[in-house]
Amino acid sequence: MAVGEGKFKLYTKITPPLEAGDWRFEASQNLSASTPQGSLDEDDLRIDQEQINVRIRSPRYVLPPDQVLSTYPPANSFGSYGSRLPQVVIKRRTLPWERRLDGAPQNTPWLALVLIAEGEARLDTAVDVADCVTPGVVLDGVAEVAKGNRLVVRKSIIDKVFPTRNDVDLLAHAREVDIHDTELMMGDDDGFLAVVISNRLPVPGKTRSGESVPVKYLACLVNLEGQYNALLERSPDPVFSTRFVTERLAFTEHAAQDDHRVMGTAGARQADFNLAEGAFAPAPLASTPAAGPASRAEAMTGSASFKVKSGVAAKDGATPHKATSQWSTQDLAKATSTDISLQMAADFRIVDMIDARLLDPEYRFPVLLHWSFTTTGNTTFRSLMENLDSRLLGDVGNTPSDLSGRLPLEVVESGHVGLNHKTREGDEVRSWYRGPLVPHPTLTSTANRLDLAHSSDQLRIVIPDGREDLSLATGFEIGRLLTLSQPSIIASLMRWRQGHYHAARLKSMLVANRPLWESILGAGFEFNDLHRLGPLVGRYLVDAIVKQPELLLGEPRPKVSPGRPLEFDGRAPDVLATGLGLSADILRGGDLNLMLDNLRKVQIPMDDLIIDQVGTIGVREALEADLNTQRIDLVSNVLSNKMLDDVLTGPAFPVTETIKLDVSLDALDRILVDSIRARQLDEDEL
Amino acid sequence: MINNKIDILNHLAAELKTTVKPAFTEFQKDQDTAMPAELRNWLVRLRLLEGVPFANLVADSELLPQESIRWFYLDRRWTDAIVQGALSVGTVNSDDRIQLEAQYAAIRAELDTEERNVRRREGDKRKMGAPGPISGFLLRSAAVSGWPGLHVRAFNVDPEEGDDARYEEDDPRRIRLLRLERLAPAVLLCLFDGIPKVVHIEEPRQGIQFGFMHEDSGSSRSAKLRPRNKTTFEYLDESGGQDIDVPFRVGSSGVVDIRRLSDALATKPNTGAADGLDSAEYALQLIRFPWRQVYGEVESPRFETVFRATIEYEKVVEATFKL
Repeated sequence: MAVGEGKFKLYTKITPPLEAGDWRFEASQNLSASTPQGSLDEDDLRIDQEQINVRIRSPRYVLPPDQVLSTYPPANSFGSYGSRLPQVVIKRRTLPWERRLDGAPQNTPWLALVLIAEGEARLDTAVDVADCVTPGVVLDGVAEVAKGNRLVVRKSIIDKVFPTRNDVDLLAHAREVDIHDTELMMGDDDGFLAVVISNRLPVPGKTRSGESVPVKYLACLVNLEGQYNALLERSPDPVFSTRFVTERLAFTEHAAQDDHRVMGTAGARQADFNLAEGAFAPAPLASTPAAGPASRAEAMTGSASFKVKSGVAAKDGATPHKATSQWSTQDLAKATSTDISLQMAADFRIVDMIDARLLDPEYRFPVLLHWSFTTTGNTTFRSLMENLDSRLLGDVGNTPSDLSGRLPLEVVESGHVGLNHKTREGDEVRSWYRGPLVPHPTLTSTANRLDLAHSSDQLRIVIPDGREDLSLATGFEIGRLLTLSQPSIIASLMRWRQGHYHAARLKSMLVANRPLWESILGAGFEFNDLHRLGPLVGRYLVDAIVKQPELLLGEPRPKVSPGRPLEFDGRAPDVLATGLGLSADILRGGDLNLMLDNLRKVQIPMDDLIIDQVGTIGVREALEADLNTQRIDLVSNVLSNKMLDDVLTGPAFPVTETIKLDVSLDALDRILVDSIRARQLDEDEL
Repeated sequence: MINNKIDILNHLAAELKTTVKPAFTEFQKDQDTAMPAELRNWLVRLRLLEGVPFANLVADSELLPQESIRWFYLDRRWTDAIVQGALSVGTVNSDDRIQLEAQYAAIRAELDTEERNVRRREGDKRKMGAPGPISGFLLRSAAVSGWPGLHVRAFNVDPEEGDDARYEEDDPRRIRLLRLERLAPAVLLCLFDGIPKVVHIEEPRQGIQFGFMHEDSGSSRSAKLRPRNKTTFEYLDESGGQDIDVPFRVGSSGVVDIRRLSDALATKPNTGAADGLDSAEYALQLIRFPWRQVYGEVESPRFETVFRATIEYEKVVEATFKL
C-alpha cells in the first residue's frame, strides 16, 4: 500500500523470512498406491530425498557503501549536533534483523550504532575478520570479506556508552516512504528503509568555566553477534558507583602482591588471587562504594599487605549523582577525575597486563560502518536565528566593537563609509566608499545605468564636501584585476576583439542605414540581432517575393497557355501531301488500294554526289578544320583574355594573339580582379 | 511542374511565420551572441560578485557584527562598473573602445537577462524581461557554520498559507535565488532576483532527524521531550505542559537512559509506551522537525530603526557648505 507524498510509515521491525546463514531444505515424499494386484507402499514407490543447500548472504563485517543511504550527522562535518541523535539509514529493510543474537529475544537487532567520543575507544582498520571479535568469541559461518574494521573498547566504556540489552531493540526500526518524495526517499529504490539510531547525544564538551569546546565523535555501526552479554542488562540506577576506584585499588593491591612475591615477604597466594579475580570481573555494581572493596579485601585471607583506600576516592571522585535528569558539569568534571585516576592506574597495568585485562577487559566488535564528525557549541539553530540582529547593511549594530586606537566608523545616510585613502601623490586623505551592497533601493532603469567607462579614473567622483567617492572606481578596478588574473578570459577577450571587428563594422553600417533596413525587414527589427541578419534578410526577401512576385520576378506564367495557331489552307489531304512533298493527286481520291499503289510508285529523290564522295578524306578534313575554327572562336568569345592566357593552352587550344579580343576588361574580369584585391585587403587588416 | 513550385512558395510564407524565432535572448548556454559564451559566463559571475574581496563588499567589519543579518539592495551601477573594468582589459586602442562603445548596450542587455538565469534548474523557464532590482542578505552567525546546507526560500507575496507555505521552485510566487554561498565559514551571502516580501531560512533537512529539545543553562545541560499521541502524531500539549525531562545514564555524557525515558512516557496517555515501548513508537516520539525562521514585514519598521548612519546628513551639509 502506497503512502501519500510527504508521509511515511514506521514499522517496529521487518523480519526476513530466513536469517542469514547456510540452510538446507529437505524434500521427501511418501507415495502409496493400490492396484488390483495389491497395494504398494512407500518402500515400493520409493522417492529419493531431495536436499537443497541454500546460503543466505548478508553483510556481517563490512556494510557495502551502496547499502548506506545516509548518515547523520554528515561525515567529517562540524556542527552543533548536540540535540540530535546520530542515525544511519540502510537500504536493505531487513538488515538489522537478519542475524540472531545468542541470548537475546528473537528478532533483536544485531546492529547497534554507538557513539564514541574521542579517546574512549580505539578503531583498528583492516584487521583479519577473525581478530575483529573478542578472543574467545567465534562467529560461525563464512565471512564475506577477509579484512574488516574493529572497535576495541573496554568494559567500562561499554557500560557507559553502549546501549543496554533493553535498548538495542528500540534503536532500530523500519520506515516506508513515498517513492515520489525525493526529500524523504533520498535515492532508495523501493521506499523501504531500515534506520538505526544511536542512544547517545553528541554533546560538546565543557570547560570548567562553562564554555563549550568542540568534541570529535566517532559513530560506529557495530555487530553485536556473540557479545550481546557484554552489554549492560539494564541501565544503572542513578546511584553513583565507585567501580573504577575499586578497580584501581585492586590494581594497587595486585602490584603490591607482585612486589611481595618478588621480594618474598608476605607470601602471595596465587590461588587466592585468582579467586578474587573470578569474583571481580563480572561483579555487579557495589551498592555501597566503600564497603565493596573492603569486603573483598577481607575475603583474601592472609593478605596482610592489602590496603583499601577507597575512602579517599569516595570523597574525591565519587559525588553521588542525583536522580535528576540533569547531569551537572561539575559532576562531570569530578567523574573525569575518576577517569584521570584510571589513567594514573595505567602504570600499574603495565606491571601486570593480565590482571589489567581481567579487571577492565577489552572487547572487540566488528565495525560495519564508521564515520566521524565534530560537535561544536551547544546552541540550537532556533535560538541563534531568533536572536539575530536583523537590520539593513551599513548599520553598525547595538554593541559597537572595541574602538581602541581607531576613529569611530563614519557611515552616512547614503550608506557610504569614510575610509583612509592614500592618493597617488602620497597624500593621506579620507574618501568615501560604498560597496555593491547598499541600504537603499537602487534605480535600475536604463537611464540610471552607468555609462561605459574605459578607465577607473573616469568613475572617480568628487562630491561637494571635497572628498572623493571612490566606490565605482574601485568596482572598475576589481573587475579589471580579477579579469587580468584569468589568462583564459584575457585570451577570450582578444579573440572576441579580433573576430568581431567586422561585426562591429557591419552594425555601424546597419545603424547608419536604419531606415533602409527597416523598410526591408520591418520596423520591429532588433539591431542586436546581427548574427542572424543574413538568414533574416534571405527570409524576408523570399517573403517579399512570394507576396508580390510581379514586382520582383515578373508575372508568373499562367497555369495553362494556348498553343500556336496552325495555318490550314485547303483540304487536309492536300496539306498533308504538300508537307510530304508529294503531288496532291496521290492522296486525293476515295479508293484506298489505288492510293497505296500510287504511293508505292512515288520516286524518292537521292543525291548521287554525296553518296559518291562520302568516305574520301578530302571532305572530312575540310569539315574538321572548319569545325575547329568555329569551336575556338566560340570559346574565345566567351572567355576573358586572362582566362585564355592561364587556362586555354596546349594543342587543343592553339591560342594566338589574333584570338584575343581587343576589348578592355569585361564584367567577369572586373569581378575576378575585385575579389583578389578584397582578399589581400582582408589579410592586411588582420 | 510550375504549379508545384508556386505551391512551395505560397507555403513558404506560412512556414516563415512559424520558423522565425522570437527574441534574441533565447540562446543556449554555450551559444555566442553579443559576446562569446565563456566571456558571458565570466561577466555574469562578476556581476554576482563572485571573487570580489569581502572587504569590498563590506567595507568595515563593524558593519557586519557577530550574530547579525544585514539586508541590502544591489547597486547596479557598481556591478556595471565591475563589468566595465573587465571589458577594459580587452581594449587596446581607441578603435577598440569605439567598437566596445557600440556593443556595450547589447552586452549589458544580455548580462541583465543572463544573470537572472544563473541558478536556473534544468527544465525551468528562462526569466526574461527588463532588469529589476536585486536584493539579498549577509548572515554572519554560528548558525551558518554549525548547520551546513541551510535552505533559503524567498517569496514575492506573503503566502496565504502562512509560514508553512510550500511552493514549487518555478512557482511565480517564488523568487529565484541568484547566489547562495558561504563566503567564510560563518558568513552566508544570498542574492535574490527581486525584492522578497517573505524570506524563509530553514534548518537543513537531511532526511528525518531524531532528537530532543536541548537546553543549556550555564553549568548544566538538560533535554526535554515533548510527547506525541501515537495515533495522531500531534503533541499531547503544544505549550509544553506534558514535557518529559530526558533521563541520562549516570556517569556518561549524553547517553540517553531509554529505560527510564520509557517509564516516563508510560505515565502519559496515548504515547504507546504504557503497553511497552517498541522501536517504531520510540522513533515516533523522537522525530524532530527543522526550525524555520521567517523574515517578513509584520509591520513596516521605521527606516531609522533598521539603518542608523553614524553621521547625519544635515551635519555633513552644514560642514560642507559652512551654513
